[in-house]
Amino acid sequence: MRTLDRAFSWLLSGRRQAASHLLLAPAAAWLLIFLVLPALGLIALSFAKNGAYGEIVWSPGLQNYARAFDAKYIPVLLRTLGFAGGTTILCLLLGYPLAYFLSFQAGRWRNAFIIGLMVPFWTSALVAFYSWMVILGKEGLLNSALLRFGFISAPLGILYTPFSVLLGLVYFYLPFTVLPLYGSLEKVPRGLIEAAYDLGADRRTAFFKVTFPLSLPGVIAGALLTFIPCLGDFLTAEILGGPRFYLLGNLISNQFLMAQDWPFGAALTCLLLFGMVLGLMAYRRWEPDA
Amino acid sequence: MSAPDGVSRRDFIKAAVLLPLAPALLAACRRADSRRVVNFFNWSNYIGKDTIPNFSKRTGVEVRQDLFADEEEMFAKLRAGARGYDLIIVGDYLIPRFRSLNLIDPMPPGVLQNLDNLAPRFRHTTFDPDETTVPYLWGTTGIAYNRKTLKTKPTSWRDLWDPKYKDRISMLDNVRDCIAVAMQLLNIKQTTRDPEDFKKIRDLLVQQKPLVKMYSSSSYLNSLVAGEIDLAMTWSGDLFQAARDNPDLDYVLPKEGTYMWVDCLALMRGSHHRKDTLRFIDYLLEPQVAADNANFVRYASPNEKAWPLADPVLRKDPRVYPPKRMMDQLMLHHVLDPEQSEMWSETWADVKVA
Repeated sequence: MRTLDRAFSWLLSGRRQAASHLLLAPAAAWLLIFLVLPALGLIALSFAKNGAYGEIVWSPGLQNYARAFDAKYIPVLLRTLGFAGGTTILCLLLGYPLAYFLSFQAGRWRNAFIIGLMVPFWTSALVAFYSWMVILGKEGLLNSALLRFGFISAPLGILYTPFSVLLGLVYFYLPFTVLPLYGSLEKVPRGLIEAAYDLGADRRTAFFKVTFPLSLPGVIAGALLTFIPCLGDFLTAEILGGPRFYLLGNLISNQFLMAQDWPFGAALTCLLLFGMVLGLMAYRRWEPDA
Repeated sequence: MSAPDGVSRRDFIKAAVLLPLAPALLAACRRADSRRVVNFFNWSNYIGKDTIPNFSKRTGVEVRQDLFADEEEMFAKLRAGARGYDLIIVGDYLIPRFRSLNLIDPMPPGVLQNLDNLAPRFRHTTFDPDETTVPYLWGTTGIAYNRKTLKTKPTSWRDLWDPKYKDRISMLDNVRDCIAVAMQLLNIKQTTRDPEDFKKIRDLLVQQKPLVKMYSSSSYLNSLVAGEIDLAMTWSGDLFQAARDNPDLDYVLPKEGTYMWVDCLALMRGSHHRKDTLRFIDYLLEPQVAADNANFVRYASPNEKAWPLADPVLRKDPRVYPPKRMMDQLMLHHVLDPEQSEMWSETWADVKVA
């Protein structure tokens, strides 16, 4: 027992570097094997050539990258940026008041609300989107209800429209926006807000001069956490969007699953990753020192 | 990581190296699987309800099914190294591709007792002259429509390009069928390798795109049943299965003629359970089994001996077993060489992007 205790205190004391490295090892090994190595493989693959019947020919070249800059992919890129941007803005507009409510007004119901926010997030996206299909379809719940109460005379085509794609994206990514917002609003010192009131600020001024500026890191973090995964999303468009809402994620997944052109898919993935990293670096440089 | 000193770095590396070895050690301890099973990678809804249970009852061999909804996806999965399947279904035109990538083993000659039950048309076919695979079921690609919501019965592939059906059309999410139909409409031969031809094909399919509600090879069936769409490019048996849930759905072979395809049973390269797999294939070739199976999935059987046993309604249905005159109009897909194959998939990818 005593040896075990001593081993634990050695491990947890943080004085020995070997101990802290041992703590890091499992996660580091996991990331190395399941993230770093595959990513390196992907980068290598992006320089390979696509052989007959889609086998991979290892003769390095830049041809896949050259292809990616073909003008025919510009609409896909713009559409993806549009959907990702739209989702981010909608999530912020919906999420900020919600986070504000959770932080300032929810009181003892706060945990219940947060669990309510997380529950859809715990269900598989696939199940959630198929449920949306059941709701939005021509013979779905929404149309049946609207028809029964006489709001419409013929079923609306809601599914497979930009609206249904945006709805799916906002539905799925809202928790990604709300949680950082909530976190930063929680950290706003209440004393500062009260000081603003004491100095004669009304609620509006106090919010715009104190609360909102102090919650900006949460706004940025929430926006990034929404915008970046949105750029690579393909499931939403695949299930809730029709053929006209083909996004970057769909383009990439099709290279692997349908077109059997893995090197090109890898090159597109690398470009997307590169763009994201560049965006993050720009943000880091611009971000005021916290 | 902050710069560690020599000793701790070594500790770190040791830990990092040992951890991932754990699963390998565990696997080494596990003894080889000795239960009798056949792992079958099949299309969804593509085998009779009792076919597998009856086989297990008779032989004690368990057949485990794994399902796919798109054969290009199935191909991608196998190519990515999915192992453990014994028996897979391969479409006629894919057989050369699977062979050249060494994904399948040829059927050992002389083992299958019931091979002679197949109709001569399905022996030594153009796509598999050496009989490395065994024809399982066949069907056609045609047009599905909803009799109730569509005023006029579609007769031609052209109807899938008719603006008055905007947002009520679905197309198969399948490079072979979509490009082949565009080729038919443009009078282009499948043997072409002229880039100009592929540009025309692309343009024709892009021109149709604003009308198309979805490209799908399986979920569109639910949409047809639910009335979300009324007109669809479909595979014959899939539609007949969907028509059980919505009797207003009907199937048309377009007047331009169309394609037939043959799905074949193939042995996965180097798979285990070879003896039981062959036994299962031989079982599927038995006349009564083949007839029951075809009756359930509503595709046509290549098994001549099974025809007299098939459901007479299906047997007489010209949509399932087309009469001689129509049979002669049915074409098989041309077996593409790698260069053509790439032109086809590139054209299809461009349509999806447009």
